[in-house]
Amino acid sequence: MSELTLLVLRIGFLLLLWLFVFAIVYALRSDIFGPGSRKPQPAQAGQAQQQTPRPPAGPPVLPNNPAPPVLPPNNRKHEKATIHNVSRLVITAGPKEGLEVSLGRDPLTIGRAPDSGLVIRDDYTSTHHAKLLLWNEDWMIQDLDSTNGTFLGGKRISSPTQITLGTPIKVGATSFELRR
Amino acid sequence: MTDNSRTSATAAVGGRIVEVPAAQENFKADTAVLRTMRKLRLPLKLRNRELTLLLFACAINSVAILLVQLGALGTIDLDLIYLGAGLSALVLGLHVCLRYVAPQADPLLLPIATVLNGLGVAMIYRIDLATGASGWSAASTRQITWSAIAILAAIAIIVLIKNHRVLFRYTYLFGAFAFVLLLLPLVPGIGREVSGARVWVGIGDLVSFQPGEIAKIALAIFFAGYLVRTRDSLSMVGRKFLWMQFPRLRDLGPIIVVWALSMAIIVFQHDMGTALLFFGLFTVMLYVSTGRLSWILIGFGLFGAGAYFASQTLTYVHGRFQNWLDAFSTQVYDAQGGSYQLVQGIFGLAHGGLIGTGLGQGRPHLTPLSQSDYIMASLGEELGLAGLFAILGLYLLFVSRGLRIGFRGQDDFGKLLAVGLAFTIALQVFIMVGGVTRVIPLTGLTTPFLAAGGSSLVANWIIVALLLRVSDSIRTGPIQEVSS
Repeated sequence: MSELTLLVLRIGFLLLLWLFVFAIVYALRSDIFGPGSRKPQPAQAGQAQQQTPRPPAGPPVLPNNPAPPVLPPNNRKHEKATIHNVSRLVITAGPKEGLEVSLGRDPLTIGRAPDSGLVIRDDYTSTHHAKLLLWNEDWMIQDLDSTNGTFLGGKRISSPTQITLGTPIKVGATSFELRR
Repeated sequence: MTDNSRTSATAAVGGRIVEVPAAQENFKADTAVLRTMRKLRLPLKLRNRELTLLLFACAINSVAILLVQLGALGTIDLDLIYLGAGLSALVLGLHVCLRYVAPQADPLLLPIATVLNGLGVAMIYRIDLATGASGWSAASTRQITWSAIAILAAIAIIVLIKNHRVLFRYTYLFGAFAFVLLLLPLVPGIGREVSGARVWVGIGDLVSFQPGEIAKIALAIFFAGYLVRTRDSLSMVGRKFLWMQFPRLRDLGPIIVVWALSMAIIVFQHDMGTALLFFGLFTVMLYVSTGRLSWILIGFGLFGAGAYFASQTLTYVHGRFQNWLDAFSTQVYDAQGGSYQLVQGIFGLAHGGLIGTGLGQGRPHLTPLSQSDYIMASLGEELGLAGLFAILGLYLLFVSRGLRIGFRGQDDFGKLLAVGLAFTIALQVFIMVGGVTRVIPLTGLTTPFLAAGGSSLVANWIIVALLLRVSDSIRTGPIQEVSS
């Protein structure tokens, strides 16, 4: 076996090795790692946002045309949340901050499970964490035996509890409240 | 990436199912169809990709053995090629198994592991040719046999464990199991001492095994299960100090226990590498599960203090440090158990240069243990810097796949387990490559997949099987509805 052949073979083998590395990298690039359990979330958020427009964020408000007050007046703060005065759920803190979900008459499940009405994925949320539901005409929050609890106005709830308008509800690392 | 899958699914619907418009009237029914179609289509795609890469991998392995023979003997001897082909057949068997029991597993782990294993076999064979070993006394024959056993073990794991969450149930059992395995070499009668480290067990002269290798998997399972159960108390409370939140004193219990265990391994079994591996594994899993940087600092501090203390009091640790710091002094080089081996390895690497001497044409066998501890130096000599970097690249890809599986996992236990297993590989590569290239003091661990040694091969192939299992559960996990 001549020196030259061996040299060619040596370089050829190194090329082959690197070709394999790049084949793997190429497969990585075009690899479809599952149909994406993360991707649909923004889509979901977009869907929810279509139904209720965000509070004015983009265009600057002209001085001669003051914006209507967004927050409800103080005297209405502790009003009971009922079917009549609640139209949406607004996430005020957490990864999905700003997301709004409109509420009808149906109960809304909250949790990590993909079939939940509001999917919250963080380490402190249980699969089926909590549920918003109507009792007669009042909105109640029920904890579904979650590991880390559901907090209404900073207090952990143990039984279905009446929600008041604008009181923050905390599930995992996410806080939301009901607004009209 | 998602868009790609979506179009492929729709295309499949358009191509195969005639009543698409009817299905679209009912949105639910349509998603159901899409879901089943996705289940039918994607796995095949993944497994086909794996098959292609696997054939490529087997080709590389055969070429490597042929080149070794051409370089060292000048002729081609087909015996080993047949053995290698047997190994390829087994790997393909594992692939076929995956098609049935884990169709959505990661397609890249298996080919990478195969190439690394094959390169290891070729290199060990090359050193056997130089030392004139043949038959059962040759490390390469034993390595091939152990590879076969390891791959069979991987097949068994992937077939038997249908869902990795069952491991969660037996968390503490695995903890106890790991503990027993670690103690086993200290039991008189079956414990063996090889080159100073008491980490082997054997029955007669027949089989010898390093239980620590299996223990690392059991420990990874135990740590993952344990941390999923307790991490809230480890992560939520604590005092803030220097922009970081430090845990309460009583929450330091677990890390102190693992630290004490590692120190016991250093003192009684004379095995720094294993101790570093276990402690590093626990620290990283603690960090990943709590997301607190302070654990890393505490871990570094504890191990640094322990290592310093050990280097001052234990002679063998002191020797290792001296070999590392003062490798090229004549005194250390000539000493019994001195830096001769380390320096020979470095000379080998230097001899290899950029593109190496070519397989079978270097003299890697001059380094003692060139087929196990110093396999990286041997490969570096014959494949050069270019080849070594390709190998490190393969490790990098392997570990990144493992971390990715952890990142995408659906359940916390699976996430932590995948990260832990991937990290053991990464840490082992770092400890070994760092030791051989004189970045850190050399400690006796095995280079995953490459080095000669049955226990390590079996353990690493089990890691591959577990990662494949966890990755399969990600893809079969609940899929969110595609919103239109």
